[in-house]
Amino acid sequence: MRHQSDRLGLAFLTPALIFVVLFFLSPVVLTAVFSFTTMSTATGISGGTYRITPSAVRSAAEKGLNPATAERLSQERYTIDDDALTRATKAGIDAEILKELERDLKGKSTDDRRSFERLLKKLDNRPNRRQVKSISPHFRTSILNQSFEDRTTLDATLENLGLDAAERARVAETSYTGWIWTSANFRRMFLQPDTYRILINTIVYVFTTLVIFNTGYAMVLAIVTFYLPGRQATVYRTIWFLPRITPPVIYVLLWKWLAWDTGFISTITGWFGVASRNWMLDTSLNAWVFVVLINGFVGASMGMIIFSSAIKTIPESLFHASAVDGAYRWQQVRHIILPQLRWPILFLTTYQTLSLLSSFELIFLATNGGPGSATEVWSLAAFHLALSNYAGNLQYGLGAAFALILVLIGITASLFYLRLFKFSEMISKPRIEH
Amino acid sequence: MSSHLKTWPLSLFLGIVSFPLVLMYVYLVIDTITVTPPGSIIPEKFTLEDWRFLFEEATGRRPSIWSVTLNSFILASANSIVIVSISATAGYALSRLNVPFRSFFLAGMMVLHAFPTVTLIVSIFLILQMVGLYNTLIGVILVKASLLMPFGVWIMKGFYDTVPWEIEMAGVQDGASRFTVWRRLVLPQVQPGFLALGVFAFLDGWSEFILPQVLAPSSDVQVLSVYLAGLIADEFYFDFGLFKAVGLFYSVPVILLYLFFQDKLMNIYGGGSKG
Amino acid sequence: MRIVLDAVTKQFGAVKAIDDVTLEIVDGELLALLGPSGCGKTTTLFAICGIHRIDSGRILFGDLEVSGLPPQRRSVGVVFQSFALYPHMSVSENIGFPLQVRKESKAEIERKVDEVADLVHIRELLERRPAQLSGGQQQRVAIARAIVRRPDILLLDEPLANLDAKLRLEMRSELRRLQKETGITAVIVTHDQVEAMSMSDRIVIMDDGRILQIGTPDEMYHRPSNKFVAGFIGNPPISFADGKVEDGRFVTEGLDFDLPDRIKKASVTAGQNITLGVRPEYLQPDFATPIEAEITFIENQGREALYDLTLAGGHVFRSIQSGEPICKLGDKIRWGIDADASFFFDDQGKRI
Ligand SMILES: Nc1ncnc2c1ncn2[C@@H]1O[C@H](COP(=O)(O)OP(=O)(O)O)[C@@H](O)[C@H]1O
Ligand SMILES: [Mg+2]
Repeated sequence: MRHQSDRLGLAFLTPALIFVVLFFLSPVVLTAVFSFTTMSTATGISGGTYRITPSAVRSAAEKGLNPATAERLSQERYTIDDDALTRATKAGIDAEILKELERDLKGKSTDDRRSFERLLKKLDNRPNRRQVKSISPHFRTSILNQSFEDRTTLDATLENLGLDAAERARVAETSYTGWIWTSANFRRMFLQPDTYRILINTIVYVFTTLVIFNTGYAMVLAIVTFYLPGRQATVYRTIWFLPRITPPVIYVLLWKWLAWDTGFISTITGWFGVASRNWMLDTSLNAWVFVVLINGFVGASMGMIIFSSAIKTIPESLFHASAVDGAYRWQQVRHIILPQLRWPILFLTTYQTLSLLSSFELIFLATNGGPGSATEVWSLAAFHLALSNYAGNLQYGLGAAFALILVLIGITASLFYLRLFKFSEMISKPRIEH
Repeated sequence: MSSHLKTWPLSLFLGIVSFPLVLMYVYLVIDTITVTPPGSIIPEKFTLEDWRFLFEEATGRRPSIWSVTLNSFILASANSIVIVSISATAGYALSRLNVPFRSFFLAGMMVLHAFPTVTLIVSIFLILQMVGLYNTLIGVILVKASLLMPFGVWIMKGFYDTVPWEIEMAGVQDGASRFTVWRRLVLPQVQPGFLALGVFAFLDGWSEFILPQVLAPSSDVQVLSVYLAGLIADEFYFDFGLFKAVGLFYSVPVILLYLFFQDKLMNIYGGGSKG
Repeated sequence: MRIVLDAVTKQFGAVKAIDDVTLEIVDGELLALLGPSGCGKTTTLFAICGIHRIDSGRILFGDLEVSGLPPQRRSVGVVFQSFALYPHMSVSENIGFPLQVRKESKAEIERKVDEVADLVHIRELLERRPAQLSGGQQQRVAIARAIVRRPDILLLDEPLANLDAKLRLEMRSELRRLQKETGITAVIVTHDQVEAMSMSDRIVIMDDGRILQIGTPDEMYHRPSNKFVAGFIGNPPISFADGKVEDGRFVTEGLDFDLPDRIKKASVTAGQNITLGVRPEYLQPDFATPIEAEITFIENQGREALYDLTLAGGHVFRSIQSGEPICKLGDKIRWGIDADASFFFDDQGKRI
């Protein structure tokens, strides 16, 4: 009885925990795991097979495989075994000849075509030149371009070819098509010059949008609507709230209508003889202007709401008092309103830095990082690398490494919130204790 | 406020900066029902030609709008139902019940709630492939709901926090179990909260683009956002009138819900980050 | 039913909300828990009804120890300070709720609800919602809901605090009537001593989590066990003056008189600090122990008049006398106090 409400509490919490653990926490952990793999479209995400491709042999040789062994792997062989005999029978080769091969020469193998054909010519059945030529392809075998489901079958075959354990391991390593553990993603990330370009893009994007719109313009909106008569204020707040609730695909479509070469701006400028063009993508600068506008218009509404409600908590008497003092509106803003907004600004800045850092949806829809990669930001880069690029080989591992950086920033920032917003004050103990 | 101060300069200022925004939304409607000659911005004549997509059958290239709409509706409602029903219990547990490690869970929800979820898209994609939920609506719904869950729980906890303790105390004193107290006495008090969160989650699911785009792109599970984005990206098919008609069709539920629940939604969006 | 609290302690973190409280509530009595706000009255109530888990001690209902039982398994009706009516239910649903969770039949519930509604005179309000009721009506509904299932004990937390002055008077006698009619054991919490004095059989005075005195209103008034109780009970309140014992006399600036025999016998030593307490009715123009002072305040209440007397040393005494004021502000007077009926407290505040 003592634990009745404890048990109810756990039961009430469990469904949410299951959801959160499965599709929220495990992705956080797995982002880290994946970033240490070579996963890509080529490797697939489940295990792979062993495929002795010419390039696998070549890279095994580069890694120190004995050249003679490498040569042997690439070579063709002619072997008289059951498989080959069946193949030949199916292909309609003279049964007498095959019978003789099976009886006298089964198990024999040669390293090149000429010696195999010499064997054939010595048969009692005396196949003619044309027959010899048509028989030999069926007995040709090569380990090259063969796939092996697992390591044991690969090893067995390689052993037959006379490779020792060290050589086998080397070949297995280079011929494996699945993913393996690696730390190369991070090396690549830090070494490639693109990364720094992307980093700078991200900083510019976050800083500009945050300062101009998410806090600056949001504050202007909140203060101006505060001074407007009620009806007007509501209308303007509603208008500026629209970008936030409009589905992003449509919202960006509206901007495209404004900016594209058949769009509104081109039409207007066309009247003055300016050639129509895609204003959103024709120069890097324009692209940036639009990226900041598109994100900023959405971001401004959250600040507007938060600042508005902060201003609403200022006692009316303060304003009347200062009006009597003869303070002008600007002074009211400076001395009464702005001090009140200090805390909300801190909150908003930290919160929206995080959302701007990680959100790429709008940029993806608007410029997709273009022109070139002028507006490619960090989160978009992660997305492109892992999930959407034109080269076709999606590099999940590298993308995850890029994402991991954001995940780490996210965790740090969220923990920072916990301290900033005095978490301990928010929890009060349940007051029914039994 | 301050009637002795002139407000028209402020009004004028806002009017000017709001103009482009208003223009975009006005033309969203105008362009779907008119024909405008190239090089002009004044519509020439009325037409419903752009709305023909409503009556088109599915083709090899594109699914029918109705099946896509149904998918969107399923995603949005399922998101809403899952979020509301699960936050309803979890929010109550965190607000009112003695749960072991309660403050740990509270802190956890708070951290996750501030966490930028799109950063997880890469590993989510891989996980769904591994568990075989890739290219299914179920997969998208589960992911979408999970990512929104901490937010929902936190919001719901906020609503529960406003219910007076004495109501619950009176309930247990009257002999009701904590469960009965929750169901019969507390739930009715937080109904407005449910409604607000439900509408919010519906809109959130309805508008979602990146998740379905990445996790369920194939045409039989396509949702409206993916459909429209595909339409716009399709190089052979360039027609702003059509795009906007589909877009308007897509946004009608959003606009209606927004008009009805404006105040509540603003509260959730604004207070969203502190519950 | 007889309720016993045996050395009960309840802590919130570092705060001891109630500290070693021992108390017996006799079957059928109306007990008032009196004390300043924050002294632990509500906590005591919640410990009895089971909302709070106590940290040590025992609570007995009759002979049954209930300390470990949850509220649902103690038969206690509670009227909360805010009334805590369920806003989405009608009055009859509110009152019927405790019966409904006990799965009683519809007819039975209806019968009992009607019966209790008659008892508290809210028959005509049964279909309304709580929001459509006045404060006094809400109060009656809350009481009806608390007693409808015939609990062993009824607890009321500041039941009159949320009512306006006129209603407060009316509900005072109404509550008393209900308690008498039902014969239920009841504990009523209040910070208003007049309320406690006028309604209850016995009073428990608490301060800072501890019980200072338990007794009938009469005992409380005439035999307060300490300075705090003496100061808390009585309206207009008692006046105090700190002084010293010298040669069997009470000495302070502007006042010097022979201590009554009972005090002398109680082994007071010379030079000991001692506090005099005089209730306003024991300071009258013709009383024995003389006191010279200036009138610094007069309040004419019609039937009686209230005077503030300031002594040469700055001590202020109060006097209440029937009839119109007999002097003016600023008058120098020489009245007297009844030293035998006055209280003396030692430096610990205990009455000597
Ligand atoms: N749930 C609680 N958590 C922490 N402290 C509490 C709680 N309830 C009461 N207290 C503290 O215990 C003391 C007694 O409170 P209470 O019993 O409500 O006083 P009263 O009802 O006499 O005004 C106060 O100091 C109060 O601050
Ligand atoms: Mg209290």
